[in-house]
Amino acid sequence: MSANTLDPNKWVDKYSDYLFNYTIVRVNNREVANDLISETFLAALKSAKNFKGEASERTWLISILKRKIIDYYRKINSRKGKAEVKINYSDDYNEGEWLEEQVADQFDRTAEDEMENNELGLAILDCLDSINEKHAEIFKRKTIDGADTEAICNEFNITPSNLWVIIHRARTALAACLEKNWF
Amino acid sequence: MSKKSKFSFVDCSEAATCCDKAQYEEANLFEKAKLMLHLFFCKTCRKFSNRNSKLTHLMKESKLETCPEEKKKQWKEQIKKEFAEERT
Repeated sequence: MSANTLDPNKWVDKYSDYLFNYTIVRVNNREVANDLISETFLAALKSAKNFKGEASERTWLISILKRKIIDYYRKINSRKGKAEVKINYSDDYNEGEWLEEQVADQFDRTAEDEMENNELGLAILDCLDSINEKHAEIFKRKTIDGADTEAICNEFNITPSNLWVIIHRARTALAACLEKNWF
Repeated sequence: MSKKSKFSFVDCSEAATCCDKAQYEEANLFEKAKLMLHLFFCKTCRKFSNRNSKLTHLMKESKLETCPEEKKKQWKEQIKKEFAEERT
């Protein structure tokens, strides 16, 4: 019945870049993003027994991460709220309502502003998932990290002409995939 | 693809490599000239070259980042430890 199983030891290699890019456009702060991802992994481990295998591993991790991001905005908003409540909202009844409104607003705005680019980035990572793992890794090092040709050759123990063949294959596959899924 | 056109003097796979290098600003002047010459004659490679530049543009636009390696290592250890504890 359960088509999807969990393999926590591979989570970091498989999903951390995806989760990171998902988070960074929503919270716009590397430190916070790293903390949220770390919390997500831990929360996922704790609730691993609740995973029914209906969604893919990544979808499941993202759903936990979403909660963490919302929690994060709740937290900073309630902090902000408390400071201002003293000035504008003296009675307890109004305080609650006002906070709820603020939470929703802040989260939506941040998510929407960055939505377009965010989806493009995730579409690229999705496509990279579908090509040869090693090629994708080398392509990422070269294109996203902007690493030197020589450095990558040493790291993966390949020759520069190997590298360019791999890059060429990755680029061709990626362009085809994006044409299908993005445009 | 690898057949040498009698006009262009550069075969398509060679041109493709030059084109890929050019996307990373790693093509030298000679390679750029070869590419230009080939593109002038070869429609297929012109198409490929356009697509390739578009991809470079998209990669920049997406502002993708990879996680720092030390963070990944840290998470891996954390998961390994917690996972082992969960099981016992």
